[in-house]
Amino acid sequence: MFRFFLTRFSLIIPTFIGVTLLTFALIRLVPGDPVELMAGERGISPERHAELRAAMGLDKPLLVQYGDYILNVVQGDLGNSVVTRTPVLDEFMTLFPATIELSVCAILFAMIVGLPLGILAAVKRGSIFDHSLMGISLTGYSMPIFWWALLLILLFSVNLGWTPVSGRISVMYWVEPVTNFMLIDALLSDEEGAFSSALSHLILPAIVLGTVPLAVIARMTRSSMLEVLGEDYIRTARAKGLAPLRVVAQHALRNALIPVVTVIGLQVGVLFAGAILTETIFAWPGIGKWLIESVARRDYPVLQGGVLLVAAVIMIVNLLVDLTYGVLNPRIRHGGH
Amino acid sequence: MPLLDIRNLSVEFSTRAGKFRAVDGIDLTVDEGEVLGIVGESGSGKSVTSLAVMGLIANNGRVVADKMEFDGRDLRTLTERQRRNLTGKDVAMVFQEPMTSLNPCFTIGFQIMESLKVHEKLGRSDRRRRAIELLEKVGIPAPESRLSSFPHQLSGGMNQRVMIAMAISCNPRLLIADEPTTALDVTIQKQILDLLLDLQKERGMALILITHDMGVVAETARRVSVMYAGQVVETRSARDLFTHPQHPYTGALLDALPERALGKRRLPTIPGVVPGISDRPNGCLFNPRCRFAQDKCRREGVPLFPDESGAARCFYPLQVTGGVAA
Repeated sequence: MFRFFLTRFSLIIPTFIGVTLLTFALIRLVPGDPVELMAGERGISPERHAELRAAMGLDKPLLVQYGDYILNVVQGDLGNSVVTRTPVLDEFMTLFPATIELSVCAILFAMIVGLPLGILAAVKRGSIFDHSLMGISLTGYSMPIFWWALLLILLFSVNLGWTPVSGRISVMYWVEPVTNFMLIDALLSDEEGAFSSALSHLILPAIVLGTVPLAVIARMTRSSMLEVLGEDYIRTARAKGLAPLRVVAQHALRNALIPVVTVIGLQVGVLFAGAILTETIFAWPGIGKWLIESVARRDYPVLQGGVLLVAAVIMIVNLLVDLTYGVLNPRIRHGGH
Repeated sequence: MPLLDIRNLSVEFSTRAGKFRAVDGIDLTVDEGEVLGIVGESGSGKSVTSLAVMGLIANNGRVVADKMEFDGRDLRTLTERQRRNLTGKDVAMVFQEPMTSLNPCFTIGFQIMESLKVHEKLGRSDRRRRAIELLEKVGIPAPESRLSSFPHQLSGGMNQRVMIAMAISCNPRLLIADEPTTALDVTIQKQILDLLLDLQKERGMALILITHDMGVVAETARRVSVMYAGQVVETRSARDLFTHPQHPYTGALLDALPERALGKRRLPTIPGVVPGISDRPNGCLFNPRCRFAQDKCRREGVPLFPDESGAARCFYPLQVTGGVAA
């Protein structure tokens, strides 16, 4: 176990360098700088421009800028937003719960729908259900997320009027931020109808964000399940006279879940990438929207710090996923006995 | 009345290459408390036969029989639920590969107690007590602490003992052991075989022992059926089979036993392999590999000819033609 952690941690350092270097370099490749964008169309005198750049330290050589940045990061200082002047970490912490809320609901939706569908497709292998499900999931996997979001908005928000188009909760409600998770805060508040309002705001974005993971989980569950159903121990289970449901749901599923859990873990990255689009479309005040805006404003510290924090979260989640293997798979838990 | 009575059983699989008859019109009877040996090479249909008896043939397989009775109950007319109540309880099975036949994700205690829960409806503490008794019975040391072990923590021989404990947990009247020792070390093979026979005697259960090892059969079975390419080619008492084999295939199998080939420089073998899905010959299925095959053998299908001590599927049985395997 100790070795396992050691190898995992040794991977963190190169990842950290890669992420910082990439974001640092890429954002500076984009034409324009924060000063120009703040000045807007009125323009700014070249002297004032240079003065402000110097104040932000943007006049130094790039390598020095990067070195300063890394030194600060190592000391836990991600810098302040150029636009709002608040520390990047504070902004991240305020906005992150919104993204977590959306992502957790999306992955729950994907799992609750995807696992049973995948299992069913495997059990009914070769049936019309199996073929159509695999076709649909391939479509879901290949569909551009913004297009899918717009279709759903058109149908459910515009034509049917079932769900709101944007935001986390209706403006009619004011909910005390306790946990910054809107569903929980709404539940805690006394305002009647706040919870259902929050929930109805969450449904469409969660479905949109969960679609790709849903397709991946359904396909992975099916193929993993098919493999397991051919194993000797499944024959043993049937030879015991167990009911088919018990054979599938207990003996097969437990084994089939092991690769599916890996895939779910890998979806965390997909979720954050998807969150950027989804949050922008649904005006969801989370990390995704924040990062997109930081690009538009050339808010270097926000973008650099935000991407770094997201990368850290993804690494932590993947580590946790690896640890859950042990729970599912006794051969890892007791390895080496 | 025999415990298991099967007449003209066939199992057909539909594959991409067309229909494949893995088991072709075999008869099988097992009396209460009897040990029947089924011998044959890989691909001779031994395992498929036993899976058909257990009701475990996959969806792409079709089982037909003129008669298929267990203890007087017609297996063909049972509902799936009735059939499940029988499998694992009155008819149980031990498989070839102990390392892959146990579920790696569950403790062996769970896997043994599961049958007791489903079939015997025992309470938790009774199940536990019975599981410990069973593990003790099959010779697993420190049974109580072994309950929480996972299959990967035990050796192949130990796992096979667990499989046997599982199979006998609900006191079956018929136990089918499909090559139970093939995957094990030679030293362990004998122990497992002895264990199976002890349990069989002690409990008076019927045992079908499927093997490709004539030597194993010689020590254990009272009656033997020899299978080849999905057919029974010879069936008779173990003693008669070993002293007076009638079918050339049986003779060749016996010749291939090391203890019978003493003094010879090379162990005799049977050239070729069991015909597969696409290369079944005309006439007798064994004719391409048979030393004594005549024109008639290549033209006409052979029925099973009954004789004084059993039956053989051969136009020119060994003892009559004088082609004695010696």
